[in-house]
Formats: sequence, C-alpha cells, structure tokens
Amino acid sequence: MTLRSSDRRRRTRSTDRVRIGLVVLLLIFTDAYLLPSLVTGPWVPDLLLLALLLLAIRQSPGTAAVIGFAVGLVADVLSPAHFGAGIMAHVLVGWGASWGRSVFFADNLFVNAALFAVGTWVRNLIVLLLSGTAASELLVQLTVWSPLQGLSTAAVGVLVVMLFRDWLAIRIDA
Amino acid sequence: MGRRAGRETARGDLLLFVGCVALALIALVLPRQWAQGLTATLRTTAFRPMVILQDRAAEDLTARFRLKGIQQQRDSLALAIQQQGALRQENDNLRSLVTLRQRLARPYVAAEVLHRPASTEGRMLLVGAGTTVGVDSFAAVVTAEGLLGAIWNAGPTSSSVMTWVHPEFRASAVTGDGRVLGLVQPSPAMEGRQPLLELRGVALRDSLTIGTTVFTSGLGGVFPRGIPIGTVAKIGRDELGYERVYLIRPFVNPGIVSHVLILTAPRDSMFLPLPGGEGP
Repeated sequence: MTLRSSDRRRRTRSTDRVRIGLVVLLLIFTDAYLLPSLVTGPWVPDLLLLALLLLAIRQSPGTAAVIGFAVGLVADVLSPAHFGAGIMAHVLVGWGASWGRSVFFADNLFVNAALFAVGTWVRNLIVLLLSGTAASELLVQLTVWSPLQGLSTAAVGVLVVMLFRDWLAIRIDA
Repeated sequence: MGRRAGRETARGDLLLFVGCVALALIALVLPRQWAQGLTATLRTTAFRPMVILQDRAAEDLTARFRLKGIQQQRDSLALAIQQQGALRQENDNLRSLVTLRQRLARPYVAAEVLHRPASTEGRMLLVGAGTTVGVDSFAAVVTAEGLLGAIWNAGPTSSSVMTWVHPEFRASAVTGDGRVLGLVQPSPAMEGRQPLLELRGVALRDSLTIGTTVFTSGLGGVFPRGIPIGTVAKIGRDELGYERVYLIRPFVNPGIVSHVLILTAPRDSMFLPLPGGEGP
C-alpha cells in the first residue's frame, strides 16, 4: 500500500515536471519566434525571464540560481552588451525570487504579478549597471522602458498563471 | 535529523549560488576576445536553433508589417536610378576623357536585425549574416539613412554589431565641405529619450552652424568616407576650453532599425569625394 502511494507520488511528480517543461518550452518558443515576429521594442515582455521566475518560485534557491545562470547565458549570447552582466543579473534575480517565495510570498495573483514586474525591473537595473550605462540613459531606462517591460511581463505572467495554474501547481487565493 | 537535513540543503543552495555568482564574475572579467569567441561558438552550436528561430521571426515580421514600406522604397529607388542613367553615362564619359579611374564601389551584404527585448539592446545588435557571406570584424554597418556602427564579432552565420550608442564607439568625422574634422563618440547628454553623439576635437578657430550634416571622414581604416552620421543639434561645452564640442543628432536609431547593409570593402577611402553638405 505504501509502495503504491509512493509510486503514485513519483508518477505525479514526473507528470508535473513534463507539464512545467511544456510551459517553459512554450514560453521559449514564444520568446524566440512568436513575439519577435509580431512586435519589437524595449517594452516587449521578456518571456525567458518569466520562465526563470516561474521555475524559481517552485525550486530551491540554489537550483533557481543555476537556472538563472543558464537563462543569463542565453541572454548574453543573443543580445550581446557586456558578457557576464546578463548572467549575474539572472542568477541574482532567480535566487532572490526563490528565496523570497520561501520567506514571505503568498499564493496570490497580485503578488505573482508584482514578482514578475519587480524581477524584470531589478534584472534590467543590474544589467544596466554592470554594462557601464551613462547616468542619463540609465534614468530613461529605469523610469520609462524598464517599468513598461515589467508591466508587460507581469501581464503575460498573470495570463500564463491563469491558463496553466493546475499545471504549474500554483494555488491562487484571490 | 530533519533539522540537519534542512541545514545541509541550505548549505547546498548557498554553495550553488556562490558558484554561479563566481562564474558570473569570471564571465564579467573575461578578456574581450575570449568572451567574443565563446559567444560566437555558442551561437553556432548550442543556441543555433534560437538564432534560426529569431532570424525566421525577423523575416516574418518584415513580410507581415514592413513589406509595403519596402516596396515603396524600392519603387522610389528604381525611379531615381532610372533618372540618373543619363547622368551616370555623362560622368563615365567625362572620367574616361580625363583618364580618371572608376569611382570605387562599396560591396555590401544585406542582413536582418534580430531584436531582443533587452535593456541594453540598442548598443549591440545581432544580425543574421556572418563570415560565410563575407562579413568580417570591424566592417562598417549602415542603413539607408546613415551610419549605424561596426561589426564587433563575426560568427559564421550571425554577427554582433557595436552601434553608435555603445560607450566605446568612436568614428572620425568631417563636415560636408571637408573643412572641419573631429571625432564622434556617444554623448552623456540626451535629447528627451533620444541619445546623442558628440563631435569633439574641433579646433577653436572652426565653428559649425546648427543643422550642418556630419559624415565619416575615412580616417582610421574602419568607416569609409562619406557615410552620413547626423546633423549638429546643439553646441556643447568643453570644460577645459581646448576644443569645440557639438552635439550631433544621428540619422539612425538603433532601437528600431530592422535591416542593415554591411560594407565589406573598401575601407581606405579617405580621398573619395564627399557627398556635399546635404543630408541623406
């Protein structure tokens, strides 16, 4: 009886992993093809970062940091600015999201949306600082484009959470 | 027992985090050539599918939303070329009369810009053309409007472009009449949300009026002579008072550029005539 229940648990866990993998693959495909074939601009949601945040809030901080490293590497290779800046930013954001979730996050749609928006803004801040951005450009990026990108990423994130909340095993209180 | 397991997990997490941060720090201080080599290798191996997808997305975006504009541009160009036929013939005849060699052509490779929603995207762009079609490092990258930047790192099928927004960008510049020379570089000042360039190194005896067009001078061996850069927007201030500084409003906005031309040769063209003082 015990074996059966552990088997069931293992099967459920592997099904969960496949489902989450599918959501992440969908986000990567949308980020690499679907979105850039429809719109471009600095306000466009960053779905790779969204995938990182969705994974980070389900994982331990260490694993989230490793996922952040991988996502940061992709970002640095595909949008070269200063190699390493993207890696550092994504590692810190991934680790911070996971750590924050374990400490104070509620299963609330608004909190999830705030995480996606703040995560995007903080990531941009770190990348801009590490890339040696001039003060005037930094100001424009942090007050105009980064908040817009944060909002658009949060909007898409809320949509993804609403559509796939069973697959992502996110309980929404409100 | 449970507490010890939890503590070990926390320690493991901390180790993973510290390891990732250490690797990120190494990546940050990696010599530029190594970093360039690594990114070029990754773009052609592990991340090749993503580059292909982005390339395809850029093509689809053009086909979906920009085709009409491109057709209009093509029609205008065809009309302009048709009207210039007689002029070109006359020019060729005159050149042959005075035994002047043919004007140097600028071979180019057309490429699409693979945009990504990154905050630093305007400084470095990824384009879908590489060494297999003749693109090389330091090749000048232009659009129909003017200068965009230079190839930073060329891979086999994609290359990264350092645009004029990049803090390390420099280009030797000259006014249309060839009278005033200087060096353009990104300016810390902005015009609204639009970054500007500044023309430095102008002698105190020389002065420029607002609206003067600035071109590449051909000095330095990277940018061929005569590529429009921008127009003088404001008069800047040199704190030491040794030179005149002018703020230049560039013709090309790297954030919205979709197609570029990569000039593959020649670079040594400082004796070519300038297009005159007019804009593009």
